[in-house]
Amino acid sequence: METDKSQSSAKTTPSLFRTIWRWHFYAGIIIAPFLVILSVTGGVYLFKPQIEQVLYKDFYQVHPDGEKTLASRQFEEVKKLYPEGVLTTYRPGEKADRSSEVGISLNGKSLTIFIDPYTAKFIGELNNDDRIMDKIEEFHGELMAGTPGDRIVELVACWAVVLIITGLYLWFPKKAQSLSGLLVPRFNKGKRTFYRDLHAVPAFWIAAGMFFLIMTGLPWSGLWGTQFQTLATNSGSGYPPSVWVGDAPVSGLKTKEIGDVPWAAENLDVPESKIEGFITLPIDHVVEVANREDIHPSYTVIIPQDEKGVYTLSAFPPRAQDEATIHIDQYTGAVLADYRYDNYGTLGKIVAWGITLHKGTQFGFPNQIISLVICIGIVFVSLSGFYLWIRRKPKGELGAPRAPRILKKKFFLLLIIILGILFPLVGLSLIGVWLLDLMIIQKIPAVKKFMNA
Amino acid sequence: MKKLIYLPFILLLLSACVQLKDTAATLYEKENPIEIRIELPDSISKRKQIKITAVLTQDQTTIEKFVHFQIWKSDDSVNYGMEEAINEGMGRYSISKQFDTDGLYYIKVHAGSNDSIIMPQYRIVVGDLTEQDLKILQEGQNRQNSMHEHHH
Repeated sequence: METDKSQSSAKTTPSLFRTIWRWHFYAGIIIAPFLVILSVTGGVYLFKPQIEQVLYKDFYQVHPDGEKTLASRQFEEVKKLYPEGVLTTYRPGEKADRSSEVGISLNGKSLTIFIDPYTAKFIGELNNDDRIMDKIEEFHGELMAGTPGDRIVELVACWAVVLIITGLYLWFPKKAQSLSGLLVPRFNKGKRTFYRDLHAVPAFWIAAGMFFLIMTGLPWSGLWGTQFQTLATNSGSGYPPSVWVGDAPVSGLKTKEIGDVPWAAENLDVPESKIEGFITLPIDHVVEVANREDIHPSYTVIIPQDEKGVYTLSAFPPRAQDEATIHIDQYTGAVLADYRYDNYGTLGKIVAWGITLHKGTQFGFPNQIISLVICIGIVFVSLSGFYLWIRRKPKGELGAPRAPRILKKKFFLLLIIILGILFPLVGLSLIGVWLLDLMIIQKIPAVKKFMNA
Repeated sequence: MKKLIYLPFILLLLSACVQLKDTAATLYEKENPIEIRIELPDSISKRKQIKITAVLTQDQTTIEKFVHFQIWKSDDSVNYGMEEAINEGMGRYSISKQFDTDGLYYIKVHAGSNDSIIMPQYRIVVGDLTEQDLKILQEGQNRQNSMHEHHH
């Protein structure tokens, strides 16, 4: 914000202050409710490991007793109980007292079947749609509204950056001033000042954390995130393909002879040539490869669903450095790709760290607490900002700061255009607001007065 | 209306969607997997000597390694254990085999180089299939192959 300072101190420009205040005001009113939702859901989701440990204790906990049974034995149990189920994933469990999980899809539902790995016996079934933490994640990531929801969250995140920048400008001392009102609230300058400080001071304190959460969350988003990830992967400095964007390699590139299975029992005259050929390797072989390749024990095996599919070993444990994605040819068992954290490009490593820090897993409990404090701070700042508005709002008007001609504020215009380019959804929404202003607000006197435009 | 001049620029930037390049994978760590082809006679009858050949390549060149074959019958009634293959050169490895009974058999080829290990399983039919064999196929009852039923 150095440039802001030099500009504002060189010639005091109250109207620039007003312009920025106006932007902060409108952006704040519109996105504050979403920021509260994101902070609350995010604050809860931070504690997913602990919450799920309590919720699913009976499903998770097993008593270690001798050797674990083969994965194929556990699959047999699942096939016996769910003859119509299609096996999709297998998670052997990272600890000796942790159950293994078999993922199946059954009549359009996806279920997790918990198995005691020592006895290969059924422990319980969980419909993935009933996982409360997944619901919260869906709320946090897309407001339970699919792609439109994802875009709204992205828009809110991008506009929150605008809020932080405009807010910092408003917060920044215009003339020599003591630290009170900047780093600590002023209690003795009257209610108005006190309430202003109650918004601006904590907002300053959490601004960096909030900015961090926004920037680390954005790579997840559907539009900005996908574009960013694709650019990063293309440049060689992101995640390798298939870790985030892009497809996994395919099985049997050179293996034309793949054995098929006839399905009608009475059909005995199947050509032998169709039955003969390479077959999909049993799961036990994949577990062997996993053990050999030294992957983090929390890995999940994703089972190929068609002829060209691969077995994928996927591990996204708490720490970014332990991540792994390994693709295995379903017929030969050859490792087709083995992507570890060390194989990520620089940007990929930064994003990976960003994600584990954002989720609060990278440094465990302290990480969760710091993130929680930021979440609570965002809620507080949103509410105090909202209260500031209620206090100054005249009847029948929004109480927005007066609008000066934005085109006169070259610096601010430039900043907004840059933000609009970096975050296309901000740009898109700006165009929308501008069209709205041009076609409705400026044309109808009552609305114009209400918005103070 | 002067503001309108900015519109085309912004729209241009917004529409600049990026596609993942096909070659992106070459920018990252690459594996060098062994590839295999199996050569067999067109049909296999019991009590008749046949030659089973595995042709191995890695990175378009042939490899010189120890290769083992393991053969068993689908109902586990016959198991020939591990047998070392004869290196015929040019990446060709073979064994000769004679099957005593009709049925479904599995050939597992163990091959490895410094940076790749494979152990594919190949299914063959000796003589005629019995109803029992088909049932095994369909129910995926063969323990070694208990999960081949993924494409219902």
